[in-house]
Amino acid sequence: MLVSSDSSTIREGAPWRLPASLFTGLRARFGAQSSEGLKAAHFARPGIAIVLLAPQLLILLFFFYIPAYKALSLAFVQTDPFGLTTMFVGLDNFMRLFASPEYRFSASLSLVFTFVQSVITLSCAALLAFATDRVVRGKAIFKGIILLPYAIAPVASGTIFAFVFNANVGPFANFLHELGLPWNPALRPLDAQILVVVAAVWNHLCYDYIFLVAAMLAVPRSLMEAAALDGARPVRRFFTVTLPLIMPTFFFLMIMNLIYGLFDTFALIDTMTQGGPAASTSTLVYKVYQDGFVQLDLGSSAAQSVVLMAIAVVFTILQFRAVERRVNYGV
Amino acid sequence: MTVFNKTLAGTALCSVLALAATPAFSQERVHIEWWYALSGRLGDLTQEMIANFNASQDQYEVVGIHKGNYEETMAAMVAAYRVGQQPTLLMAAERGFMTMLNSGAIVPVNQVMAEQGYDTDWGDFIAPVAGFYVVDGEPAALPFNSSTPIFWFNQDQFTAAGFDGPADTWQELDEQLYALKEQGITECPMVLPSDFQWSLLENYSAINDMPFGTSANGFDGLDTEFVYNTTGMVGQVDRLARWVEDGILHLAGEGMSSTQMFVSGNCATVMSSTASHASVEAGAQFDWNATFMPHEEGVEPRNSTIGGGAIWVVAGQDDGEYAAAAAFLDFVASPDNQAWWSEQTGYVPVTTAAYEQMAAEGYFEEHPTREIAILQLSRGEPNENSRGFRFGNHNQTTAILVEEMQAIWTGQKTVQEALDSSVARGNVILRQYEQLHAGQ
Repeated sequence: MLVSSDSSTIREGAPWRLPASLFTGLRARFGAQSSEGLKAAHFARPGIAIVLLAPQLLILLFFFYIPAYKALSLAFVQTDPFGLTTMFVGLDNFMRLFASPEYRFSASLSLVFTFVQSVITLSCAALLAFATDRVVRGKAIFKGIILLPYAIAPVASGTIFAFVFNANVGPFANFLHELGLPWNPALRPLDAQILVVVAAVWNHLCYDYIFLVAAMLAVPRSLMEAAALDGARPVRRFFTVTLPLIMPTFFFLMIMNLIYGLFDTFALIDTMTQGGPAASTSTLVYKVYQDGFVQLDLGSSAAQSVVLMAIAVVFTILQFRAVERRVNYGV
Repeated sequence: MTVFNKTLAGTALCSVLALAATPAFSQERVHIEWWYALSGRLGDLTQEMIANFNASQDQYEVVGIHKGNYEETMAAMVAAYRVGQQPTLLMAAERGFMTMLNSGAIVPVNQVMAEQGYDTDWGDFIAPVAGFYVVDGEPAALPFNSSTPIFWFNQDQFTAAGFDGPADTWQELDEQLYALKEQGITECPMVLPSDFQWSLLENYSAINDMPFGTSANGFDGLDTEFVYNTTGMVGQVDRLARWVEDGILHLAGEGMSSTQMFVSGNCATVMSSTASHASVEAGAQFDWNATFMPHEEGVEPRNSTIGGGAIWVVAGQDDGEYAAAAAFLDFVASPDNQAWWSEQTGYVPVTTAAYEQMAAEGYFEEHPTREIAILQLSRGEPNENSRGFRFGNHNQTTAILVEEMQAIWTGQKTVQEALDSSVARGNVILRQYEQLHAGQ
């Protein structure tokens, strides 16, 4: 990826989106025990499957496998930006990374950030989706307001957030100051971290919300009515009937949130904090960009991308193992 | 050989000549690309200069492309160079000097000019500019948008506090800034410039004659090591930390720039580039003024160092493109255009000829703040500590320094801890660079 001539693709984090085929592959492996339901979907004749997969595989080849190979090959060398001298250094880049307290901080920051962001986003989205059914008047407006942030590019919303919460001039910051809170994301690491989490939740909430609302619409009315007749109140109905039925969607969203938190928050961080103050919001993906494209330390940046990819793969597998067993795809 | 054959050969020769000559007639102009890193008003003026060049002759056409800030432009250059799509001219920041110089991807500007038959007088640069860009007696790049930090202040607020203007020394300035705050004249006596590592640290070190690194700040070799954790810099950083703690020095924060904070009247002073003239002159609604950077008590202040960008000629192009590049550089370096550029932007006129021309026109009498930068730059003879900084991967070591400074302000580290850590981490980067460029 590091020699890609178009840096914008990297900024979007596009090459690092986990390929859909990985899910299919994993699903096939870990779900193979079950011979019924959606887990075992397959074609009788593999030829047509290959034809149908070809366009996607080609895209993956150019935007994932080739860049991934380039990253791997750069991870074991030290090189000057222009490629004049390249020295093979073995695992040096990785050793330097793991020995660096800054990198270890960045790694734990990313995990905590992704976790906190996922939990808040998913629970808020679930709450709002649950409430959608209860809103009688102005349902369209309610939905519209929630879906609006999704139409705003992360760079734009990051810029707005940065300004609105700027300790010197931002109206929201002023409001916080009037409440007696010493808000200043330029000087207080925790404030900056809160700001990033809030912006990320705001940005991603609607994505989760759309999926959850759609999933809830698919829950059979009869089941809900039966539960209501049995005397279950709305909240209880949600947890005992709706939630188990929408679990596949929930599980899918957990993985999407993980990927969002790890990779797609780049634009927000770049516009709101630039990783500061004192690297307190410099997540792994931001560090990859900073070290590779700003500092031109290509070897280290490539090694970091490899580690990041490994983290994403490991966490996805763990989620499949731990959670998918509790998910029933067959209704 | 028969007559027929001779005629045939003659015709063939003629047609070959005609073929060779045709492109020169039919092809309109030689196009070359120049990637630059200036935006806003400065970007508009860059385009204007390019348009002026294109209109001044009909052989060459320069196409100016804005590739983002300095870092983004450099990243674009690296990516383009690796696939053979590089531009002919590139603007790179002074911080990227070593990266460009040792990249193997450039042709020294002097060589291009000589090969193309230009007799440009390169000896004419003002001393710190020449001292920085001239390597082994030859300029490696053409200094284009050169600047140096100066001290901007709000005259109204200083007058209200009973001062004529800012003091010359940091010690007296310290008292003045506290007075501005205590008298309730401003909440924000000073705003931290976004490139404070350059204006408040590196230039502080140069002006007060302190070493920043060994081996003459890197001029004498790649074995240089940072030493700023053992010099008077510790005191300076300590002062800045105290100011941040006491609300004397404010951070603009993301979403705002330090210049905006000054121009809007929110903050009374800022120590930033002389290139801020473009926006201060356009925006400030109060009586603003500027002066020299302060110095320590009892120290004879030396020259400040230059920042900003230079134009590099990139390797791997053909002769026609280099002819276009040379014509453009010759145009840019002419005293008339230097003076025009400097008057429009606030950047320093880098040649003595341009400076003298502006002085003769009486420009500095009308705009006294425009002369501060050049007077400050050419104050005394540059020495080892004030000539500038030639550190490999200077961008990287700077980023570390900034991060460690922020760790002081956020209360995570003491001044000495942060500077020690910054020096130690920076030295690792310097060794890495030395290892990679050992043969050069």
